[in-house]
Amino acid sequence: MNEDVLPAGRPARAGGWLHYLANPARFMRVAVPTLPWLSGAALLLCVAGIIWGYQFAPADWQQGDAARIMYVHVPAAWVAMAGYAALAVCSLFSLVWRHPLADIAAEEIGPVGAGFTALCLISGSLWGRPMWGAYWVWDARLTSVLILFFLYLGHIALIRAFDNKSHGYRAAAILALAGAVNLPIIVYSVQWWNTLHQGNTISFTGGSKIYITMLYPLLISTLGFYLAFIAMVVARICAAICERKTASALLAAAEERA
Amino acid sequence: MRPPKRRRLYLVLACGLCFSAAVALGLAAFSSSLTYFLSPRQLVAKPPPTGQSFRLGGIVQVGSVSTTLSGTTPTTHFAVTDGQAAVNVIYTGVLPDLFREGQGVVAIGSMGPGGVFVADEVLAKHGAAYMPKDVEQALKEAGKWNPKFGPPPAASTWNTMQVKAGS
Amino acid sequence: MNPWPFINGAYGAAVLFLAGAGWLSLARYRRARRRLAAVEKR
Repeated sequence: MNEDVLPAGRPARAGGWLHYLANPARFMRVAVPTLPWLSGAALLLCVAGIIWGYQFAPADWQQGDAARIMYVHVPAAWVAMAGYAALAVCSLFSLVWRHPLADIAAEEIGPVGAGFTALCLISGSLWGRPMWGAYWVWDARLTSVLILFFLYLGHIALIRAFDNKSHGYRAAAILALAGAVNLPIIVYSVQWWNTLHQGNTISFTGGSKIYITMLYPLLISTLGFYLAFIAMVVARICAAICERKTASALLAAAEERA
Repeated sequence: MRPPKRRRLYLVLACGLCFSAAVALGLAAFSSSLTYFLSPRQLVAKPPPTGQSFRLGGIVQVGSVSTTLSGTTPTTHFAVTDGQAAVNVIYTGVLPDLFREGQGVVAIGSMGPGGVFVADEVLAKHGAAYMPKDVEQALKEAGKWNPKFGPPPAASTWNTMQVKAGS
Repeated sequence: MNPWPFINGAYGAAVLFLAGAGWLSLARYRRARRRLAAVEKR
């Protein structure tokens, strides 16, 4: 990293890098050179994961080929939840520390996260029809993910609903933080209540209930989806910063002429 | 951290704590309606009135399935169990592909005469274990698992197991 | 039941979404950078 472009005041304490990057100009200096690498890696891993899952992963003993839907459904679900967690963190930074970049990030995470949630719901219902015998059931897991989707939609609408942008940021941040209680409900719904949706396959503490030749494509495609999410959000944040700079430069030029 | 920021942080944390507690209490109170299906044990302990529609979930009992054809529509009798109680079910129609003995199912319908559950719809509830067919065969041949009698053994015993190619 | 129409549907939705959302994000990023560069040059 070029030391000369970094001003004094580098993060001193742990977690300080979040505060450090919260300056839009500094964020741009780090993000713009990283973005091509990020997008390239995301593209590569997504293509590899999708082709591996669609064509080369073995069929499941019970579900047969339909289990291949896992390689897009599960990563989409994880990214949808991680995206909402990121939205909640941005909202916390927005409410408590009033970081301008946190507001921009929250505004740009919303639509991308909603897209991944929609993909999770669509692929899940296309999995449910051949396996369960129903596109949709109102069990706790499916309902809580649908609520996640509506939280995303509500956030997208609310953050853009005010003429005074800062009012929209405050209101949307409160909505995002309140909605974060839904995340543990999604994760544990399959344990707390009887659901038609199966339990969690991947476990960090015990062994994962998935054979290794099916685990690898799942991990590749998960990494690809995560990187794709990050790349899209970073590109959109950079675009939003540029759009704001353009608007204020045009405004300043207009005032000069007047 | 300057005082106003610290104050806002504590305010947000306090609101979050109160809100989470409210949601947790609400979920605990409505826990029974969040449950997608009743197990046979719950059904035996607290039977819903005859004719009221509800969902019954459990495992298809081994050796309980019998199908009769009238015309082209099959009628299937089977028992759903959770290991402690069993309920007889009758269903007319085509069952999902995954339906088999030892398979988790959710049946939607109501109690009919004679304590038989009359299902209008049967959904298959598959497990969380994913493995290729040859791994399942190898486990079966080694006598470590029979899918008819419950979920597979501890995942660490099979998720990296070596299998002969083409077996 | 033949699962392939459902598998193709799910993968089609995934590819369409990833390609579409990625392309839209990239297009917006490039447009915003170009406009800012044009304004700053004046």
